[in-house]
Amino acid sequence: MSDEVHLYPYLVLGALLFTCGVVCMATKRNAIGILIGVELVLNGANINFVAFSKYNAVFQVEGMIFALFVIVLAAGEAAVALAIVLNFYNNHATVDVDGADELKG
Amino acid sequence: MFETVRNQPGLLFVIATLLPLGSFALLLAWGALRWGLRPYAKNGSLVDNVYQCLGGPVPGPGPAYVATAAIGLAFLCSFIGFGVFLSEVGEMHRLEHHLHELHLEHAKPHGHKAEPEAKKDEKEDAKQAKLVKKEPERNLQGEYNILRHHWLGSTTWAQVVSTKTKDAERGSILTVGFKIDMLAAVMFVMVTFIATLIHLFSIGYMSDELKKTVEDHEVHTPHGHYERRGRFGRFFMFLSLFCFSMLNLLLADNLFQIFVSWELVGICSFLLVGFYFERTSASNAANKAFITNRVGDAGFIIGLMILWTYCGTFNFEELFAQIRCPKADADGEIVLEEKIKANDKIQIRKTNLSNKIVRCDPGENTEYGWRQTNLAKDGKAVLLFPRDQSGHFHGPHQTEYLFDHPGAKQYGHMPYWLLVVAGLGIFLGCVGKSAQFPLQVWLPDAMEGPTPVSALIHAATMVAAGVYLVGRSYPLFTPEVLLTISYVGAITLFVAATIAVVMTDIKKVLAYSTVSQLGYMMLGLGIGGWTAGLLHLLTHAFFKALLFLGSGSVIYGCHHQQDMRKMGGLFPKMKITALAMLMGVLAISGIPLFSGWYSKDEILAGAFGFAMVNKQHFLLFLLPLATAGITTFYMFRMWFMTFMGKPRDEHVYEHAHESPWQMTVPLILLAILSVTVAWPKPDEHGWPLFDAQQSWLAHQLHHYSQPKTIEVEDVEDAHGHPIPLDVDFVKENQAALAHHAGVGYLALGVVAIGLIFALALYLYGWLDPAEAKEQFPGVHRFLLHKWYFDELYSAAIVRPGMVIAHWCRNFDTYAIDGFVNLLGRWNLNASYWSGKFDRGIIDGFVNVLADASYAVGNGLRNVQTGYLRSYVLFLALSAVALTVLLYAWVAALGG
Repeated sequence: MSDEVHLYPYLVLGALLFTCGVVCMATKRNAIGILIGVELVLNGANINFVAFSKYNAVFQVEGMIFALFVIVLAAGEAAVALAIVLNFYNNHATVDVDGADELKG
Repeated sequence: MFETVRNQPGLLFVIATLLPLGSFALLLAWGALRWGLRPYAKNGSLVDNVYQCLGGPVPGPGPAYVATAAIGLAFLCSFIGFGVFLSEVGEMHRLEHHLHELHLEHAKPHGHKAEPEAKKDEKEDAKQAKLVKKEPERNLQGEYNILRHHWLGSTTWAQVVSTKTKDAERGSILTVGFKIDMLAAVMFVMVTFIATLIHLFSIGYMSDELKKTVEDHEVHTPHGHYERRGRFGRFFMFLSLFCFSMLNLLLADNLFQIFVSWELVGICSFLLVGFYFERTSASNAANKAFITNRVGDAGFIIGLMILWTYCGTFNFEELFAQIRCPKADADGEIVLEEKIKANDKIQIRKTNLSNKIVRCDPGENTEYGWRQTNLAKDGKAVLLFPRDQSGHFHGPHQTEYLFDHPGAKQYGHMPYWLLVVAGLGIFLGCVGKSAQFPLQVWLPDAMEGPTPVSALIHAATMVAAGVYLVGRSYPLFTPEVLLTISYVGAITLFVAATIAVVMTDIKKVLAYSTVSQLGYMMLGLGIGGWTAGLLHLLTHAFFKALLFLGSGSVIYGCHHQQDMRKMGGLFPKMKITALAMLMGVLAISGIPLFSGWYSKDEILAGAFGFAMVNKQHFLLFLLPLATAGITTFYMFRMWFMTFMGKPRDEHVYEHAHESPWQMTVPLILLAILSVTVAWPKPDEHGWPLFDAQQSWLAHQLHHYSQPKTIEVEDVEDAHGHPIPLDVDFVKENQAALAHHAGVGYLALGVVAIGLIFALALYLYGWLDPAEAKEQFPGVHRFLLHKWYFDELYSAAIVRPGMVIAHWCRNFDTYAIDGFVNLLGRWNLNASYWSGKFDRGIIDGFVNVLADASYAVGNGLRNVQTGYLRSYVLFLALSAVALTVLLYAWVAALGG
């Protein structure tokens, strides 16, 4: 019995995180909550990248670079999204995203 | 400029021509400026100042002075030019003959090619030496060329190069040029002189037009008489243009330039005859004159086209050189040999063809590249000679087959009948312009114009143009054409004279007398009396101008009364006019010593000579002889009715007065010239005043201005001077010369009869004119209706023309318009259906598409909920769905 951990648990973890994120995004009405869901989705994907980087020689470098890329992207995205949220709050005095329906067709 | 004119004195005549044109342009510009400024000329403004400077609303007699000065200067130029020409023409003529003789001498040794140069005849050498000795160290040809250059000149106007003409590199050339010979020079002096007098006369006669408003008593409007602006300037502008056209016509050295002037003269007569165009009669007369002339001009154009096609030139000299056989060298004489039967023997008659029209039967092209052409008296074609080989002919020795040599390519030929048609066509133009039968109808109506215009048109200019053209293009006419001309002239002179007998309008009498006298001229030309016809043109111009201006003076004095039945006994009231007109009457009657005698006698003698030789044409003598008596009768009738007897209308008589000096001075001058213009010159044998054959003017015309046809010189007059005869009419001319005196007495007898009748009927009252009228009511009515020519033309041409026009109008209204309307209606229907299709089907399809997209868009709107969570849900679900689909696809592929 080897102590080595396989790829699959990582993937399952990633998928779990991803699903949690999506569910969080779909259910939360709080903008901050949705942002948290987005972070979860991104990190679920990140776990996948890192796992592939480790267990698949082909993606050794790419996996890590993509992971770093996603982290940087997530940071940027969080900054922009929080700015939007703040502005939204300034305008609507709430962070309930259901109130943002001006673009409704 | 002075130097140029000295080098080429013919330019004097060109200047004389251009002066009236300048006057016309000036008056036109002046009038146009006034017309343009008039609406803007407000009191005191700058424009008004300019307008007032130009004459204002009443410009005064300025235009008359401009026009009169121009034509006066033109007369001066012509007169000087005529003097210079007279001084040179004798020398030129002598040189020409001398050169011809030299040419004959020179040509002899070169003629026979077989004969070696060395074998020259010594006798000929001596002869030549003698000839050369006579004129030592003189370049005769050079001198002659210089003299000719004085009076000829032209510039190329247009050149049509066609390979089909005889000389391809030259092509056909249209030129503008001048050719002064004795005829042109004399005509220039005559036309400018008479025109000057008429201008002067018009200043007085047209003075009514100087007013700002003129009341025309013959035009009635609902508001009384018609009032219009005075047209003094316009009248003189037209006169100037008329003079220019006429002078240009005389000047021209080619038929085309003549044609252009011809049309200009026509339009001027239209403008002048229709000067009072508000009067229906005047505008109708102008139209009639213009349209009748168009008929003639159509013939003229046909003639021009034929000549242009075959000869490639309009230049007179070149045309004549082509159509008339050149003078032959001693070696190259062109002789027509005919075999004739006489006394059961076959003889050969030789005719020298020098200066004649040569007829031939053109043969086929031979294998040697030249054509064999047989000369024949009744040949189907006319030989055309090379146009630059004027004067002399270097032909082959043998004449039976003229063109058996390689040079024959230069020769051409045209069908004889086409030459006849060309001649008839040109003559038709002259018939129209000179008012000959059957186109004489326009001239009497043209009396609607102001009287000076009648004088200008009927005496000096327009009607003279036709006779002048016949004289100018004389060598183009074949015997058939000349016979036609004679008969047309004879018929015209008789018909017109008989009509003149019953006319009561003083101007109408003169108009018909003009037509009759023009007939005399045409007859004179047609029977081979070139000089006689043109001499009569010149003398007639003077006395007819005199008579017309005299009648104008009478009409002016009687306050525009033209009816002779209301005149009578005017002699004491207007002595100058009456005496001057008496001179004209005597001249036109052919009383000895008056100018008309010299010319009319010559025509009658010519006609007699012609009738002697051609017995079947004796009518050509009888008609003019009888008409001489009729002429005397109606002219004296006119004079007696106007000036003698008792006044028939007290009102007219009381107000009658003599005209001012501007009108009487021209009358006096013309009266003097009407008497003297044809007088002979005193010579060493005395002053042969009573010899009708010795007229100086006729002599000048005959010797120095003859067309190519007058050449033969084997007859001598009483003093041993040679008299040239017409090559086509040698026998006729000889007979005329022989019987001149006898015919003269006969004519005098007939004139005396006419005079006696006039005295009996209208002066002494032995016979009552009214009784004579009742005796022959039919004749009187026939003559009063002018031989029913107007009625005939109305029935034969005008009425059918109207009917055809009516038909055409109906055709236009119903057929053409109907067709167009039908097409239109069809189109309308088609458009209606096309519109339906467009709106229903095409628009419907497009609308359906639009509606569908709209519906789809509207449906998709619901998806855009605006809830962030639902978008995420969509995203997730879509991702799941895509994954499922992917798996299903992979599974389906992988199995």
